[in-house]
Amino acid sequence: MGRKKDGKMSAFRAEKFLVFMLFLFGMVLRAKGVWLEIPKSGIKCLFEDIRKSVVVMADYYVFWDEDYLNTNYTPRVSVKVTSPYGNAVHHQENVTHGQFAFTTSEDGSYMACFSTESSHDGGKAVTVGIEWKTGIAAKDWESVAKKEHVEGLELELRKLEGVVEAIRENLIYLKSREADMREVSERTNARVAWFSIISLGVCVAVSLVQVVHLKHFFEKKKLI
Amino acid sequence: MERRRDGIQCTKVYGLLVLLLFSFLGNLSVSALSVTVNDVECVYEYVLYEGDTVSGNFVVVDHDIFWSSDHPGIDLTVTAPGGNQVHSVRGTSGDKFDFKAPRSGMYKFCFHNPYSTPETVSFYIHVGHIPTEHDLAKDEHLDPINVKIAELREALESVTAEQKYLKARDARHRHTNESTRKRVIFYTATEYLLLALASSLQVLYIRRLFSKSVAYNRV
Repeated sequence: MGRKKDGKMSAFRAEKFLVFMLFLFGMVLRAKGVWLEIPKSGIKCLFEDIRKSVVVMADYYVFWDEDYLNTNYTPRVSVKVTSPYGNAVHHQENVTHGQFAFTTSEDGSYMACFSTESSHDGGKAVTVGIEWKTGIAAKDWESVAKKEHVEGLELELRKLEGVVEAIRENLIYLKSREADMREVSERTNARVAWFSIISLGVCVAVSLVQVVHLKHFFEKKKLI
Repeated sequence: MERRRDGIQCTKVYGLLVLLLFSFLGNLSVSALSVTVNDVECVYEYVLYEGDTVSGNFVVVDHDIFWSSDHPGIDLTVTAPGGNQVHSVRGTSGDKFDFKAPRSGMYKFCFHNPYSTPETVSFYIHVGHIPTEHDLAKDEHLDPINVKIAELREALESVTAEQKYLKARDARHRHTNESTRKRVIFYTATEYLLLALASSLQVLYIRRLFSKSVAYNRV
């Protein structure tokens, strides 16, 4: 009876080890994202200011240390991605990996929050890898290559053309943002001038009212 | 119960394999992300090949410094996988950085906020690899033209990085502008109200002085 149980446990451990090795292998091959360390029972958030109609694609995965091999505890995170108006775009509880993709419907700051719960005793800081791509970086070149039958060098040049287009669009967007800000600046500048003159006027008016009122008061009291 | 657990393990392995498949998609970089730094916030980035150029920038976007006009700054420390410091910048509100990775591995980018107010830092890190002659000799699928294309891609990446830096700086400027606009309106309105209040209090006080004491003296 004990031996059967040992057999099961060692098979479980072997499988865990295999999974861990696959993770390591995957880590080396695909580690093109940003890694964050989330303290136990803490929240870490990443956000980006994105304009509307932009494709956002992200992959996230939790990394395992060798320490986790010895325990039965698998590190998990809860993910919540919110739009600038507070709507949840993606929400997952207690997962080890996942992905989400959406097209932004409004301008603003999109936030992805990762949180851990210290439900187990073995809770420690969890490392999460996030690969977050927006705009041209999120474009699916494989399907473009298949659809238009381009490959190799031509595909690479197409990608470069896409990047150049994205650069030009970004520049136009930056220009329009700068124009908005210039408008706000100039309006504030005009307001400062007006408000200061009005403030002087208010001061003079208030003091005149004071003097007139007191004069009238003293005359009424027959002091003057 | 045992079968369910096996089933879960199976799906885990399949999930991993799917993730591995994803890893073979293009060599594209991450977008500019922002993170809130309370004390120390570390971000890790993996460098695949030794000699890769790691470039990037960071800007402190959202600061609520009330009085002073200059931001006290944030420190950035880049640590190589061996533990030695590769790059370090102290007390700036935004900077660009560029260095050649001395070895491959996991690099740690730490932002340290020496003050108690939390700051939002927008950062962008890009690891660029250009195939060298050594790689050309090793892999027969690589043409010299691939080297040129890689160089072109890296040049375009540097333009994109510059744009992200400008966007972050623009965001910070926008914060300052909005704050100025709000301050002008709020403080001017408060100033008018307080002025009117102070002068009416003055008048009331003088009235009170004269209505009590003088009335007694007058017969």
